[in-house]
Amino acid sequence: MAEALQDATVKLSLDGVTSGYGAIDVLRGVSLDIREGEIFALMGKNGMGKTTLLKTILGAIRASAGRIRYEGAEITGAEPRALIAAGIGYAPQDQPLFQDLSIRDNLRLALPGDAHLPSALERVYGHFPFLADRLAQKAGTLSGGEQKMLIIARALMTEPRLLLIDEISEGLQPTVIARIAEALREERRSRGTTILLVEQNLDFALGIADRWAVLKLGTIDDAGPAGADAHSRILRHLQI
Amino acid sequence: MTLILDILTTAAILFVIATGLLTIFGVLKIINFAHGAWLTIGAYCAVAVGQLGWSPWLAFPVAFVVGAVLGGLTERFIVRPLYARPLDAILATWGLGIVVGQLITLGFGRDVQFTAPLLPGTADILGTSYSIYRLFALGAAIVIGLGFSWLMEGTRLGLSARAVIMNEALAHVLGLDTRRIRWVTFMIGCGLAGLAGVLLTPLTSVDPNMGLAWLVGSFMLVMVAGQSFAALALACLLLGGAQVLVSTFLSPILGGITVAVLAAIILRISPKGFSRV
Repeated sequence: MAEALQDATVKLSLDGVTSGYGAIDVLRGVSLDIREGEIFALMGKNGMGKTTLLKTILGAIRASAGRIRYEGAEITGAEPRALIAAGIGYAPQDQPLFQDLSIRDNLRLALPGDAHLPSALERVYGHFPFLADRLAQKAGTLSGGEQKMLIIARALMTEPRLLLIDEISEGLQPTVIARIAEALREERRSRGTTILLVEQNLDFALGIADRWAVLKLGTIDDAGPAGADAHSRILRHLQI
Repeated sequence: MTLILDILTTAAILFVIATGLLTIFGVLKIINFAHGAWLTIGAYCAVAVGQLGWSPWLAFPVAFVVGAVLGGLTERFIVRPLYARPLDAILATWGLGIVVGQLITLGFGRDVQFTAPLLPGTADILGTSYSIYRLFALGAAIVIGLGFSWLMEGTRLGLSARAVIMNEALAHVLGLDTRRIRWVTFMIGCGLAGLAGVLLTPLTSVDPNMGLAWLVGSFMLVMVAGQSFAALALACLLLGGAQVLVSTFLSPILGGITVAVLAAIILRISPKGFSRV
């Protein structure tokens, strides 16, 4: 897989991207290439800019400098709506579900219309069968682990070609993390989905990722393949 | 029996008037202080339809369309540029209400106007003779309420609107067209205000400032209801009922301020009002 990925085309490219909130830059000239079909883990402590990076790619935060390219086309400054339609999926970390809406309605909202809803639902049932029996249940009444699986299921509804996932393993039991990891592996295996995974859980991230990078104070501080020394190298960056 | 019917029909009329305001407040998070002006426009649509010799029933669709179209233009050119400054947006709608009132005065004059009764006469309800038109208003409120429930619960637009109401930031990153949802919602809210204006015309005189008093009442009802239509219906029933009781047994003048005073007391005791209904 690693050799095949080295020859793969670049799916997502960030070139000197700077962004933040108001006058405060959180990302400072981030450059990154993620290849077609790759699972890329972006690691880093809290407040280093990981979520800001995902939101900047998705157009929810404007980049003040630099360029972002997706499948060869520049997408810097594009609206989330256009990027979702172009095949990017997003599993957010902050307030990620409509708590008072049913599971079905949360999943429906991922699609632009209801025409393909049945087939999309069938697809995500394959990853998370419990959803099929509880479609009418309000999302806010699910357990923490079930909510995380619903977030991933919703992101997969549109069959994205690039999936952005923000700290999905936070606070989860190992069994749930394993189910999510298997779903992501299967998506990559069956559809070649490229995945950018923002994480702090080393075991989960390195268990599925091909490459990794550490974000520190808004810049890429270290990067490498998910080989034997990855764990210790990343750990050095994450330790206080 | 008459008292019960008065309470029900008053609550129904208040509900129809406040529904448009709550719709806009829920999605756009701003109070449209031009709501009274849109209600006045609806009432003058009824006047205009009468002057043109058309069927008075045509005033309902005409007022809805006129309200929706003008509302769409207002959202696009006045409210949308001010979304990042909600206080300015609210002040802009207040100013717009004044401008609309003046334009109506220019077009129709200051004089009080009346429209032909839509449903004259009374009906016998359990031995009580009661205005057919007020019963029609009650039915209209039920139809609008059910229609709105269907729109919100049974359509894609309603689902998107509920998503924006609950968490607009999430709706935005999931790819929902929040701009279009706001625009359509504003149009529907203004169209409903126009509809309410027509509904009022057989019950009250029409003048360029008629919307102001109704705006204050419906604003207070929306504050009590939060973002829930069920809570709005309850608030209209309780506060509208109190208004009828005070008007009947104490003084019509005191009755006129009952909704505002009770709403202020409710919000003092429970800042979230009835929003958990």
